[in-house]
Amino acid sequence: MNRFSLPNLGIGLGLRTVHYSHILEHTPEVGWFEILSENYMQTAGRPLHFLDRIAERYPIVMHGVSLSIGSTDPLDLTYLRELRGLRDRTRARWVSDHLCWTGAAGKNTHDLLPLPYTEESLRHVAARVRQVQDFLGAPLVLENPSTYLEFHGSTMKEWEFLAALANEADCAILLDVNNVYVSSRNHGFSPAEYLDAMPYDRVVQLHVAGHTDNGTHVIDTHIGPVLDTVWKLAGDAHARAGGASLLLEWDAQIPTFEETFAEALRARDFIGKEAA
Amino acid sequence: MTDRLPTPVEDAAGEAPLVERASATTSRTPALGGALRLVKGQAAPPFRTLRELEERMIEAITGGEAAADDAALRITAGPALDARERLEIYRFGYKARLIECLDDDYPILARTLGEQAFERLAASYIEHYPSRSPSLNAFGKRMSEHLRDAELDEQVPPRSFLAELAALEWALVEIIHAKEPPPFDLAALKAIPVDRWGTARLVRSEAVQVLHCEYPVNRYYQKARTDDALPPVPSPSPSATAVYRRSWRLWRMDLTPAMTRVLDALLAGTTIEESLGSIGVDESDPAALAEAERSVMVWFSEWMQGGFFGGIELAKD
Repeated sequence: MNRFSLPNLGIGLGLRTVHYSHILEHTPEVGWFEILSENYMQTAGRPLHFLDRIAERYPIVMHGVSLSIGSTDPLDLTYLRELRGLRDRTRARWVSDHLCWTGAAGKNTHDLLPLPYTEESLRHVAARVRQVQDFLGAPLVLENPSTYLEFHGSTMKEWEFLAALANEADCAILLDVNNVYVSSRNHGFSPAEYLDAMPYDRVVQLHVAGHTDNGTHVIDTHIGPVLDTVWKLAGDAHARAGGASLLLEWDAQIPTFEETFAEALRARDFIGKEAA
Repeated sequence: MTDRLPTPVEDAAGEAPLVERASATTSRTPALGGALRLVKGQAAPPFRTLRELEERMIEAITGGEAAADDAALRITAGPALDARERLEIYRFGYKARLIECLDDDYPILARTLGEQAFERLAASYIEHYPSRSPSLNAFGKRMSEHLRDAELDEQVPPRSFLAELAALEWALVEIIHAKEPPPFDLAALKAIPVDRWGTARLVRSEAVQVLHCEYPVNRYYQKARTDDALPPVPSPSPSATAVYRRSWRLWRMDLTPAMTRVLDALLAGTTIEESLGSIGVDESDPAALAEAERSVMVWFSEWMQGGFFGGIELAKD
């Protein structure tokens, strides 16, 4: 159990619109669904209609891509208010986003851009995490992103930065083991070293996903089944955390619900049926 | 002159979901290598502050080659890619993600222009209207306006047609996101005393829009949706189309001139009585009057079922 007493929801799936009808018609035995928060913001129509019906039946977790916790622009209070409103509406168990920045000077790239891992960044991000947590009245859950570049001037490794940030800001961690794998290939480090550095009492959730290997670099496309290497990392992290909610992300070329869910259930081969 | 109800058409995307945004990186890949070269060992001092890094990186990702070349000097080389190639993944991903978003919102416009011309249009849109919002739901909102001024390839269809096509596709997006009106209370409508009808107005729903076009855009759109081959671009011919939602599905309906006049008046908040007066029937002709009454009943039935109105208001005494 993590230090935040956030529940282990078992095996979940990223909620995708192509699966709405199947879920509502068949009510499959999925432990929980994770939503992309921004897909349900700045809308009053159909996305919320379906989400409300699904949230009546399943635990929901919110996963964002635009908090931009590392940005030097001021925190967007309008965004935070809408985020909190959606959290309350769906009774989401927790709210997560990424250790990254998405824009500056008012421009949003909608990408998860890497930070330089320095003391300055650490102080800056920790202060903002605390602000967000005060606003939400709940721990923020931060995910390690996939990255494709690093900066001269970084004085820490990403895993050192994330662990230090979590301690300093007292936030929770969503450990994406596919992102660990993708970044390890792109930067040439050992995934084991990353996993060894995690403060597991703060790890409340794991992500797995497929990716695209281009030979010279690996892209976090969330396409296709999860590599066994990534599943093994998930199994390792799951054991070290003493159990954690585990979720499959599949975002492009999405197959049928049954196929997607079957891939998620492969987790049982790596974390044990009892743990699932 | 009165009209029967034209056939409403459920949009092909009516049940299909919107393509959602995700935390994944686009699967489209940049061409790395070639012109992208960074001299090995070349580097510059790190950015002095986090703010400077972010401002310069935004320019490098969303701007031109010079900004990218400069920022790459502050980026490390990876096991297989040099700094400039690594940065190119983000530069390419930025545009690719937003182009995909516009392609989701404007599938028929994209087909009409062809892949290359649409990508050029999308790139110029992204440059003119970079996203400043946490959500991409409204990113494509200004495409119709952009089409009226944007530099276009010479061989593409007339820009006024393209702008109207974009307006229709954006209306569909807005209707998806519009608030659901409360169910219309027919009993309340029937309960209005005859002497109060003169002041009764219908309250319009947010989930309905009427488009007035110089071209028969909806007819073109419908054929493009249902046929494998793109239809020819039509000649100008005025049309009006209602876009709306029924049971959470999207519908489109071409409107006849008489219907348009009545519906426009109702949606503008004109009293029901005055709105019906705009139908333009010869009141000295009993047969025409009776026909008009029958038509109006049919229209109203569709408009009520289509959730065009969320209530009725009476002027206070």
